Amino acid sequence: MLNVRVIFAKTGTVRYISHLDLSRTMARALRRTDLPVWYTEGFNRHPYVTFAAPLSLGYEGLHEAMDFRLEQDDYPLEQVCPKLNAVLPDGLRALSAAPAVAKPGDVAFAVYRLYLSCPDELVEQLLTQPQITAEKRTKSGAMKTIDIKPYVQQMRRGDGCWEVTLPISSENSLNPSLLLQALRRLQPDEPLTARVVRQQILDKEGRPFR
Amino acid sequence: MVTLDDILSEVQKPARYCGGEMNSVVKDKDRVEVRYAFCFPDLYEVGMSHLGMKLLYGLFNSLDGVWCERVFEPDLDMEQKMLAHQIPLFGLESRDPIKTFDMIGFTLQYELCYTSVLHMLSLAGLPVLAADRDESMPLVMAGGPCTCNPEPLADFIDLFFIGEGEEVDVELIELYREHKRRGYCKKEFLRQAARIEGVYVPSLYHPSYHDDGTLRALTPQDGAPARIRKRIIQDLDRVYYPDKFVVPFIDVIHDRAVCEIFRGCIRGCRFCQAGFICRPVREKSVDTICRQSRLLCEQTGYEEVSLLSLSTSDYTHIEPLLAKMLEWAEPQHTNIGVPSLRIDGFSEELANRLNVLRRNGLTFAPEAGTQRLRDAINKNLTEEEILRTVNKAFKGGWNAVKLYFMMGLPTETDEDVLGIAALGQKIVDAYYANPDRPKGKPVSISISTACLVPKPFTPFQWEPQDTREQLLRKQSLLRGAITTRKISLSCHEPSTSFLEAVFARGDRRLGAAILEAWRRGYHLEAWSEHYDADGWLDVFRTCGIDPAFYANRRRPYDEVLPWDHLDYGVRKDFLIAEDERAHRSETTPNCRQKCAGCGAACFKGGLCVAERQSDLC
Repeated sequence: MLNVRVIFAKTGTVRYISHLDLSRTMARALRRTDLPVWYTEGFNRHPYVTFAAPLSLGYEGLHEAMDFRLEQDDYPLEQVCPKLNAVLPDGLRALSAAPAVAKPGDVAFAVYRLYLSCPDELVEQLLTQPQITAEKRTKSGAMKTIDIKPYVQQMRRGDGCWEVTLPISSENSLNPSLLLQALRRLQPDEPLTARVVRQQILDKEGRPFR
Repeated sequence: MVTLDDILSEVQKPARYCGGEMNSVVKDKDRVEVRYAFCFPDLYEVGMSHLGMKLLYGLFNSLDGVWCERVFEPDLDMEQKMLAHQIPLFGLESRDPIKTFDMIGFTLQYELCYTSVLHMLSLAGLPVLAADRDESMPLVMAGGPCTCNPEPLADFIDLFFIGEGEEVDVELIELYREHKRRGYCKKEFLRQAARIEGVYVPSLYHPSYHDDGTLRALTPQDGAPARIRKRIIQDLDRVYYPDKFVVPFIDVIHDRAVCEIFRGCIRGCRFCQAGFICRPVREKSVDTICRQSRLLCEQTGYEEVSLLSLSTSDYTHIEPLLAKMLEWAEPQHTNIGVPSLRIDGFSEELANRLNVLRRNGLTFAPEAGTQRLRDAINKNLTEEEILRTVNKAFKGGWNAVKLYFMMGLPTETDEDVLGIAALGQKIVDAYYANPDRPKGKPVSISISTACLVPKPFTPFQWEPQDTREQLLRKQSLLRGAITTRKISLSCHEPSTSFLEAVFARGDRRLGAAILEAWRRGYHLEAWSEHYDADGWLDVFRTCGIDPAFYANRRRPYDEVLPWDHLDYGVRKDFLIAEDERAHRSETTPNCRQKCAGCGAACFKGGLCVAERQSDLC
C-alpha cells in the first residue's frame, strides 16, 4: 500500500463547496480514474481520502493537500495528476503527487491573501486600536472573546490585497473571518466583501507542507 | 452593483446555485439556436434526485444547436437576496436570466408544487398568466405525471406534454426551431404544436359548465384534436438513455446512479395512478441495463446504482440481472440498490450479496389492514407472505419492521382500520414465537399511514376523499387500538392530502385559487413548514370555490371529468368495472396472468403484444 499526497488547487466556483462535499467529490473523482485506489475494508468500502487542512467554504486554496492510498507500492506517481485532472470538475486541479511523508498533523500555519472591498485605510485604522477582539466559537460550541491584535499586526500589504500568516494547528488556529469580523465592526454600515485565497500551508518550521 | 458571487457567500448551501458540477453541459452561446430552461419547482436537492430531469437534460443537450440548462427553486434566503438585488432567476450552467431563453419546461411531480411554478415564473421576471406572455418571452411548457390532469394550471402554461417525453419533446423543440428560423408567432406555433400527438395546448379548448358546477364540455377550437393521446416509448432498449449524470457537489436526496429497468406495472393496484397511466409494461433487456448501469457508474464515479421501476420484483429476469450486475459491481465496490424487492422466494445467496436487508431494512406496504380491503384495492400482498418474510429476517438477526398503510380507501370500515393494529400485533407475536430471534432485543414495528388521494385515470377517480374529520377519527381509532409500545404509529396530517385531492381532480376554475395563493406568497409547499392549511381554506373562500366539490364529492360515472379529453389508453368502462369490483372486494389478475382488457393494448407495445403472441402459440 502506498500513501500518496496530492497537492491541489481549489479556485473559482468550487470554492462554494464545503469540506465534506470536497471529500465526496474527490472520492468520486478517484473512482472515475483507473488508478489502483485502495478501499477501506468495512461494510461500505470507499477510497480512503483525508485532507491535512480543511478549507472553509467560500475560500479558494492554491496549495491544498489531499492524501489517499494506492494498492500498488511501485505505482508511477507521475501518472496521478494527469489521470485526476482528466476527471476533476473545473476549479479543482491536481498540481503534484508524491509519497506522503510528513504527517497531516505537521501543518502549522497558513498564508492567506485577503482581497478586501474596503480601502487600505480601514486596515490601518484597525491597527491603531489599542485592543482588537473577536468572537470565536470554541469546540464545545460556546462563544469566546479572544485578542486578535497580534494576528492583525501580521497583516502585510500585497498586490491589491493584504497578506497574513495565521496558525492552523490543532492546538491553535485562527480563521481569517475573525479579521474580517473586526474590520466590519469598524464600519458597520458599509458592506465589506472579501475574497480569501489560501496561498500556502506551512509546517512548524514555516516550510511549505508537502 | 451586487453580483451573484457576492450573494453566494451569504446564503446556505451556495453550491445549489453555482453549477459547474461534473458532467454539467456548457455550450458556446453563439452556436446555439434554442435555449431551454428545464425547471424543477422545488429545491436543488429534490430536483437533482429526479431521473426524468437527468434523462431529458442529457437528451436535449445531445441535440445540435440546443442548450438545456437546469433551474431549481431557490430557498428563502437566496430568494430574498435575489429580489433585493434584482437578480432574476437564472440557468445554473450559463447564469443567464431564463427570461431570455426560448423555452421553459417545468416538470410537475406533485400537486403541491403548483404555486412554486408561478413563483419561479415571477422570479424569472415573467408574467404568470400564459395570455400575458407574448412572442418576446419564452414559451412555457410542462410535463410529468401531474399533466394527466393539467386543468388547474391551464391558465399559466402554454402547452403540456402528455405521456412519456423522449420523442414528443424533441419533436416540439424541432418545430420551435423551424418556427424561430422563419419568424416565431406564438399563436401560430401553438396551433401547429397542437397537431403533434401528445401535445395539449389548453388555450385551444373552451370549457363550459352545468348549473350544478360540473363540467359540460371542453370544446376544441382552431382545429385542435378532440382527444389527446399520450405518447409512449415502444422500445426501451433503443430509446435514448443518458451515459452520464450531473454529479452534485452537495448531498442530494438520491445521490446515486439510476437505471430504469421497465416502465408500467403489471399489478393494477386500484389507488395507484402510475400503475394505470404508465401502461403497458415494457421491459429493458438485461444486457441494456448492465451496459447502461456500468457506463453511468464509470462516468460519474458513483458508488451505487439503483434499479428503478414501479415494482422491482416484477422484472421478468430479476435474478439473472442482479447476478450479472454483481459480476462487475463487486470488484468495483459498487453497490446495487434494489428498492421494494420482495425477498420472499428470492435467492438467499443473492439477497446476502446485495445486502438487501441491511440497505432497505424490512419494509412492507400492505396498504390496508385486512385481506378483504387489500382485495378491494387489488393489492396482492398477503399476511402469510409478510409473516413468512419477517420470520426469515428475524432468524437472520433482524428486529425492526416498517409497514406502510393508506387510510380513507373506498369501502374501508372500522374493522379494516383496526386490522392495521392487528397485523402489527401479529408481527410482534411472530417475533416472540420465533425461537431463532435475536436474543435480548425487543422487536420494533413502525406503522405509517397516509391518506388516500383519489387520482385521475384510476378506478377511484369517482370516489370521494374522506373528510379531514373522518380521517382524524380513523387515526385516533387506530391509535387507541395499539396497546403495545413495541409498535410506533405515525399518521399523515390529512390537510395536505386534501389539497392534493382538490388539485388532482380539479378543473380550470382552480387557476384563480392558485393565482391568489401565489399572490399571498405561497410556494415551496411540499415542505410542511411552508404549508398553510387554514390559509388555503381562506384562499378558496376568497375565490368563491368550494374545495369539497372537488375532493369529497362522489362523482357519478356519467359526469364529464376535466381530464376526459386526455387519452391514456386505459378506457373509462374498464375503470368503472374496476371500481365496481372494488366495491365487491374482487381482485383482478395481473397483466402477466391474464389480460384484463384495460385498453392499453391500443399502443400495440410491451406486454400487451407479448401476450397476444403467446395466445397464438
